[in-house]
Amino acid sequence: MADAVNCDEAQDLLALDAVGALEPAERAQMEHHTATCPTCAPLAAQYVDVASLMSAALEPVPPPARLRRNLMAQVYAEASAAAPNPWWRRLVAAIPASRGITVLGVAAVAAAVILGFWGVAGGRSASTPITYVVSGSTSQPLVTGSVTLDSARTEAVLTVHGLAPLPASQVYEVWLIPAHGTPTGVAFLTSDPAGNAWTAVVNGSLDRFETIAATNEPVGGSPGPTGSQVLSGHLGSS
Amino acid sequence: MHLTDDDIIRSISAHSPEGIEALYDRYGGLAHTVALRILADRGAAEDVVQESFLAVWRRGSTFQPGRGSLRSWVCTIVRNRAIDRLRGDLHRTRLDTPIEGQTIEPAVTDPWAAVALELSGEEVRKALAELPLEQRQTIELAYYGGYSQSEIATKMEVPLGTVKGRVRIALDKLRASLADRLEAPWQTQ
Repeated sequence: MADAVNCDEAQDLLALDAVGALEPAERAQMEHHTATCPTCAPLAAQYVDVASLMSAALEPVPPPARLRRNLMAQVYAEASAAAPNPWWRRLVAAIPASRGITVLGVAAVAAAVILGFWGVAGGRSASTPITYVVSGSTSQPLVTGSVTLDSARTEAVLTVHGLAPLPASQVYEVWLIPAHGTPTGVAFLTSDPAGNAWTAVVNGSLDRFETIAATNEPVGGSPGPTGSQVLSGHLGSS
Repeated sequence: MHLTDDDIIRSISAHSPEGIEALYDRYGGLAHTVALRILADRGAAEDVVQESFLAVWRRGSTFQPGRGSLRSWVCTIVRNRAIDRLRGDLHRTRLDTPIEGQTIEPAVTDPWAAVALELSGEEVRKALAELPLEQRQTIELAYYGGYSQSEIATKMEVPLGTVKGRVRIALDKLRASLADRLEAPWQTQ
């Protein structure tokens, strides 16, 4: 058992510990004393707080933005991987595969306009875009829309109606969700001047993704979904 | 919405990513400044800060309210990791605080301290400047240099008991100077 120390000696040790200079051999003595001393025990916290205040005298050096970005990307990735049944996994499981191909006239035309009339002139081979339904979530049940993919599944246009307007500090971020893995943020929905129709264009291979969804996020987006899910749709298979 | 330190602690304890985000937004700047002061290397400082916050995330909150403030807890975690890295580096770049002629850096605008701290940097700098030079050098060798009391005694060529006394007297003086402005004002003994 460590040699006992009195309060005066213990307080010396507490001060040393607060600045990180305590020798390992003396730690047991200090802890043994403070475990039972009502005077010295609270002093430990005070010395720690005072020592940490030394940092306030330093000239602040803000960290680069990438540090926060990398940290939170890691945190959200680990949180998603650990979640037993995150909302987007429940979503993928709940959408029936048969709820798939539906041709929506207005939306398909709008998508075709945006995508440049696939299969018409320009030397492109005939190919038919495929349109899938998207629906609002419980938080926004009035949302309707569609997502139209080119036949090569390398571009998609998401067109949505009925979304609630957002404050200036938020955006609707679009996610592509694979059957296994974490959602990938790919675009932000932008509205027409009247706020009636919202559109997002997604570029890149959609082959490995099964679901498209959107959430409200802070301006600039998030490394992973953090806000309420507002819509979703099944993308069918390639 | 303004989160208190207690809100952040609860959020971290619930293993919420938002808790780590709030903790970083509040104390990430401080953590980076401390790590950089110790390591004098931006890449190493960033690594230490990221490792520190990831450790908090992965292990959940081990914060104990009776052992100091959330701010000092973050400082301690980052400081300890930085010192470990400093000691583990093959090529030491430890900032040897000069024994003679140390001066305090001029104050600059400190926006994050105004939010995260109860005290301005100027107040702390003033309190540190009021310490006798040997007391200030002793605590800075320990806190930023990672020196043990024996190493400080050797470096400053004084007995071990002198080092102990200087550290305690310095902290007692700082405690007395700053007690009425700290988050948890104490009864100075």
